[in-house]
Amino acid sequence: MALLEIRDLTVRYGEIEAVRGISFSVEAGEVVTLLGSNGAGKSTTLKTISGLVKPAGGEILFEGRSLRGLKAEEIVRRGVAQVPEGRRVFPGLTVRENIMLGASNRKGLSARQIRDEADGMFELFPDIRRFADALGWTLSGGQLQMVALARGLMAKPRILLLDEPSLGLAPVIVQAVFSIIAEVRRRGTTVLLVEQNARMGLSVADRGYVLETGRLVLSGEPQALWANDDIRAAYLGGRQKVAAAV
Amino acid sequence: MDLVLQLLFTGIGIGAVYALVALGFVLIFRATNVVNFAQGEFSMVAAFLMVVFAVDLEWPYWLSFLIAIGGMALLGALFNLGVYYPLRHRTYLPVIISTIGASIFLANTTLALYGPQPQVLSPVFETQGFLLGPVFLDSQYLLIIVVTAVLVAFQYWFFEHTLIGKKLQATSQDKEMAALLGIPVAGMIMLTFVYSAVLGGIAGILVAPVLFVSIQMGATIALKAFAATIIGGFGDVTGAIIGGLALGIIETFGAAYISVPYKDAFAFIVLVGFLILRPQGLFGERIAEKA
Amino acid sequence: MTGSPRPAPADLAAAAPAARRLPLGSILYAIAAAGIVLLAASVTVNGYLLNILMQAATYSVAVIGLTVVLGLCGQINLAQAAFFGLGAYAVALGTVDWGLSYWLCIPIGLAISVVFGAFLGASTLRLGGHYLAMVTISFQQIVTLVLINWIPVTHGPDGVPRIRRPDLFADGQSYLAFCIAVLAVVAWVVWHMPRTRLGRAMRAVRDNELAAGVAGVDVYRTKVTAFAIGAFLAGLGGALFAGGFAYVSPDQFSFAESIVFLTMALLGGVGSPVGAVIGTGLLILIPEWLRFLKEIPGLYLAIYGLAVILIVVFMPEGIWGFLGDQVKRLRPKKPAPPPAQDLVLTQGAGQSAQVLQVEGLSKHFGGLKAVDEVSFSVARGGIHALIGPNGSGKTTTLNVLSGLYSPTGGRVRLDGRDITAMPPHERAAAGLGRTFQNIRLFRSMSALDNVVIGAERPGNDSVARDRASLEARARAALAFVGLEARAGEPVSSFSYGHQRLIEIARALAGNPVLLLLDEPAAGLNSSEKHALTGLLRRMAARGLTILIIDHDMTLVSDVAAHITVLNFGRRIADGVTAEVLREPAVIEAYLGQEAAEGPAAGLKSDLAPA
Repeated sequence: MALLEIRDLTVRYGEIEAVRGISFSVEAGEVVTLLGSNGAGKSTTLKTISGLVKPAGGEILFEGRSLRGLKAEEIVRRGVAQVPEGRRVFPGLTVRENIMLGASNRKGLSARQIRDEADGMFELFPDIRRFADALGWTLSGGQLQMVALARGLMAKPRILLLDEPSLGLAPVIVQAVFSIIAEVRRRGTTVLLVEQNARMGLSVADRGYVLETGRLVLSGEPQALWANDDIRAAYLGGRQKVAAAV
Repeated sequence: MDLVLQLLFTGIGIGAVYALVALGFVLIFRATNVVNFAQGEFSMVAAFLMVVFAVDLEWPYWLSFLIAIGGMALLGALFNLGVYYPLRHRTYLPVIISTIGASIFLANTTLALYGPQPQVLSPVFETQGFLLGPVFLDSQYLLIIVVTAVLVAFQYWFFEHTLIGKKLQATSQDKEMAALLGIPVAGMIMLTFVYSAVLGGIAGILVAPVLFVSIQMGATIALKAFAATIIGGFGDVTGAIIGGLALGIIETFGAAYISVPYKDAFAFIVLVGFLILRPQGLFGERIAEKA
Repeated sequence: MTGSPRPAPADLAAAAPAARRLPLGSILYAIAAAGIVLLAASVTVNGYLLNILMQAATYSVAVIGLTVVLGLCGQINLAQAAFFGLGAYAVALGTVDWGLSYWLCIPIGLAISVVFGAFLGASTLRLGGHYLAMVTISFQQIVTLVLINWIPVTHGPDGVPRIRRPDLFADGQSYLAFCIAVLAVVAWVVWHMPRTRLGRAMRAVRDNELAAGVAGVDVYRTKVTAFAIGAFLAGLGGALFAGGFAYVSPDQFSFAESIVFLTMALLGGVGSPVGAVIGTGLLILIPEWLRFLKEIPGLYLAIYGLAVILIVVFMPEGIWGFLGDQVKRLRPKKPAPPPAQDLVLTQGAGQSAQVLQVEGLSKHFGGLKAVDEVSFSVARGGIHALIGPNGSGKTTTLNVLSGLYSPTGGRVRLDGRDITAMPPHERAAAGLGRTFQNIRLFRSMSALDNVVIGAERPGNDSVARDRASLEARARAALAFVGLEARAGEPVSSFSYGHQRLIEIARALAGNPVLLLLDEPAAGLNSSEKHALTGLLRRMAARGLTILIIDHDMTLVSDVAAHITVLNFGRRIADGVTAEVLREPAVIEAYLGQEAAEGPAAGLKSDLAPA
């Protein structure tokens, strides 16, 4: 049984069909990457899994049980955490407070325990330790992504949904973020990753899917997807130009 | 000079009431992005509850107070469910109109039940007050100032040093993200309404012995509290407190030196002046503009 | 926020009448109105009924004022009774204390109302709804305080008795007829207002302020105008009221009465003068039927308050909003309009070969340099693309160019003119058109009305300003994007892809010197993208200059002759398309370093599961 299984999922915003009947699954311990350009439906898929958007059709099963009708806060209590696009670090709270709130889905912890655990997160994210008491809005994009990841891990999720962690980050920062994702995977957390950066997205993945205008058009091993001309075409303006560039 | 000190004391006392109601405004505004136009009616209803229990039924003051505060908590919850929650996905305009409707409803239901005669609620303490040098410190005003200081301190502690306070702050900053972290957003908003109603209620009970208890007291207090929030910068807790105190002082001095009948107009003139000259308030926006 | 284009319901805003009325309709209306006026003047009624009708007619005028300010323009006004009172006191004090003619007092009252309305609006309308609500309440309270306390002038709480009517309408019935005639004219004007230039501007502001500004509507001035018109009509109603009842006192113009006006507008339907009259009539008659309610003070207003909440929650469009939809459904389809003309696009009058020159443009948010010293220029005619990975500053650049953000540094010239400091509507007047990544149409309007607003762009000299020419131009633009056949349908009935085309048509109708397209391909499927490519080429073939932002590299490389590439807010490449796409820096920005090496060089292999 797959940890997360999406069956024939359809999502509409009014008249617009953002996701058109997609099916895929994520096994425990895997990193699965959804690739696709802007507007392909990647973020919508993650929002639907997390319960922020109600599906128009289809089924989402987590550990074999349907997530239908659950509120976002109930889904995260089941162990499905999301680090959304744009980090969404609370601007008026400090870094430590932001990370502490990541444990809001877990019951029976004292404030002291949560605080200690949050401070423990700085082991994995040493770059943000010195900002522990700085307000969220004062940080740069890369630092915010670290805070958002740390906050997501505080939920002790069974599966972590990551929405475009590379968005707007310098290559060196992207590398750092992805080494953390690889580390998260190594520690046994299952990850469903949404990316526009195909190369980085596939570099940590066990399997990948490609979304285009709300449909899954390709799936497979990272190497096979990378070798596919269509993928490269989607990211750099047509085959001939890639050929020319290479 | 003695008069100035005396007026300053009275101004701070009355300003403390505005500050309490303004705090209620700010909390609801930060949690829901909606200005609750019925905030003043919370004060009015609580004052009437005190009149019912402490004056009419002659129950002990402390018991009446507890009942009134419990009643306010209930009213805050019902208010959220009936007035705000059904409209939470709509634009601000219907919500404003809905809270105005609630304000009219609360004020006039009270009028229908209790009639138009202003009621009197006696002060908590038997002693009128005492002289400190040239200034007469009225015991009720002292109580108002002390209680306000305690409540402000409590609120600071609650928001800055408890996890639930942080969750409330997180909810007001980004509801969707708060939900993604497992924070019960609807519960947080409910808590905000309940707390704001209690805060408004305490303000009403404190000020009731100073003013008459009348159905108009809510609207008057609310308008001044709103002016206070604008002076302080919308959404800013410190600003609301300082704005409230400033307004109380301005009004008291205005009444003493300029005109008594137009006492209530000073707040509005200050309000319009601020809107034109410094709409971001004294303290401006804390969080920087970002796309 | 890319993923949530859920359309906000058009709260309170009943769809404006879409059908274009024949003059026949107005003639019939005039005849009917004249009939009612004659009836009112000739059929004798008792004093009780006369008073009710008088109140209904004068209140209706003030409530129609709310139709304009709240219904059409979406701005709240909780001081309608104060403006009503200003008009009433002008007539009362003018005729009683100063011995002025009734006919002179009316314009004085209107002038006072409008001046106060415009002042209040001007001081707060930049700040948005909450402030406006509170400031209008404050104004209401101040007016009440002054009426009560400025006794030497206003007579104080006792009010002003023995107000005279004009000699022409000295008896009650003829005065009632006069009031109804005024109401008929006011209702006619406001009924037709949504389809005037000003009315369209108001609806545009209500539906989407950002898009309205970019389409050339002066948002602020439109709001102040709407507010002043609302105050004007309240003043007019009040002036009529004073003559009708011969007595005024401060309590008739209190905050509670403002709420009564608001409830009347909401109940009837705030989008139309018909709703205003229905709501006013009902809320004057029902309390008369339920007079016993008034015996308990407060009960009556408590029910009003409850009604306001219930209406807002359960009947946001009001009675007429509900009925009007049914009527619209029954109405027969109109005959097809004449075939659309060909869309003419001119190239702008500037001398320079560069339509757009951007020099050292910067936009910082706090410490974040979203756009950092970017320079590029767009040559006249043809398509120029601005590309870069997500978060590279493209959309910020576009928002600075269209005036939604003010730049931290740098200059922007359009057709040789410095537009750096202009607000959006002035840039539109200077020739800038744009579309939005997350489509911003005026949601309560038809496709045609959306595009007509585009055609009305100030500075668009390719079209005359009469309605026929504007509609012809709008139809031509819709035909150009292939949607002319559905011009009359509301925009909400179009698919996402078609809404995008309507947005492009709106910009094209304004005949812009430069068209900015913000990710026009986002969310389109491949056949829609293909059609978009064709459309872009046809636009370029007519000489239009286009600056396009998009992620879709196939689209960009197919249509653009020049490309500017941004990364981290900086320009990393600029030049002819084929060359730019070959630059290593560009490849790296899009695919990451060592693009050719593939994922094997990634991290997973280093950090295999333990």
